[in-house]
Amino acid sequence: MTFMRAYQDMVFSTAARLTGNDAQAEDIAQDVFLRAYEHFSHLRNSPTAGGWLKTVATNLTLNYLTRYRKRWRLFSELKEHAGEDSSGDPEIEWEVPDTLLADLDADQRRELIDGALRQLPPHQRVVVVLYHFEELSYQDIAIKLHVSLAKVKTDIRRARAALLPLLAAGGLERE
Amino acid sequence: MKAERILNELVRGLPLRRAPAALEFRVRRELERRAARPWWFRGFSHWPPGARVSFVAVCIAIIGFTVGDGAWTMIERTLSDAAAVPLSWTHSTVAVIRSGCEVAGLLMRVIPATWIYGGLTAGVALYMTLFGLSAAAYRALYLQPSLAGDRQ
Repeated sequence: MTFMRAYQDMVFSTAARLTGNDAQAEDIAQDVFLRAYEHFSHLRNSPTAGGWLKTVATNLTLNYLTRYRKRWRLFSELKEHAGEDSSGDPEIEWEVPDTLLADLDADQRRELIDGALRQLPPHQRVVVVLYHFEELSYQDIAIKLHVSLAKVKTDIRRARAALLPLLAAGGLERE
Repeated sequence: MKAERILNELVRGLPLRRAPAALEFRVRRELERRAARPWWFRGFSHWPPGARVSFVAVCIAIIGFTVGDGAWTMIERTLSDAAAVPLSWTHSTVAVIRSGCEVAGLLMRVIPATWIYGGLTAGVALYMTLFGLSAAAYRALYLQPSLAGDRQ
């Protein structure tokens, strides 16, 4: 269980940021560690155990979200309008101070950012987390999610546009 | 400042969330539950050596029987038995299908086309209504709202 204690926060954080739901993240984290114990003899002393766990946590979370997406794709994507692609638009310049959230300590900042992420729709939250937290490229995200590069760019752009006002407002509230 | 740069700066060095205290207990309990399962419920690699050897031996015997002379003898016997079966059931089935087609043809001639198209339209409308209602009920009662709009 020392192994688990060393990595459980990382695994849980990864799943929680992607799902935006702590209960689901706990279920996914449990699955990740059950899989890890199936390969425990290799992972126990492996320097890449953290990376293995992170990859498995990300993939299991995406599988989890995809299962729900497939059930509702027919209905939810009917709302998707043609010509909505804004991936070629220039990135918006924000008039935010360099000191945005600078007055908050790391835990407060994390709490605020996680709260704002939870308010995003799942398709925007997932891409923004994969890009900014998991540091995947646009191309890798598109491959992982089986969607077009343009859709990834559009969703990330919209996610940022939704996220920054939330963070700015949250930062002001706390000051 | 670009939104991408702002977010990169904000998330840099962000601490991890603390996993729930119950997670470790849940994993341990599940591992214990799995360990308590009988061997035949586990993967082949976890079977006792004797069971594994017996299983492989039985498989080899079945494959040998299937590929060997025994299989051909059995196939020949089955084919000859099948040839001996009278075809009365086949005739009955064909007669039933033919009668059904005749009745359908007669109905098509007797019933006005408007009625048929009307009936088909009503059927499709009913099907779509029921499909929509069950979808709405599923979405409202079962699906978690946070995932309902997932379109990535």
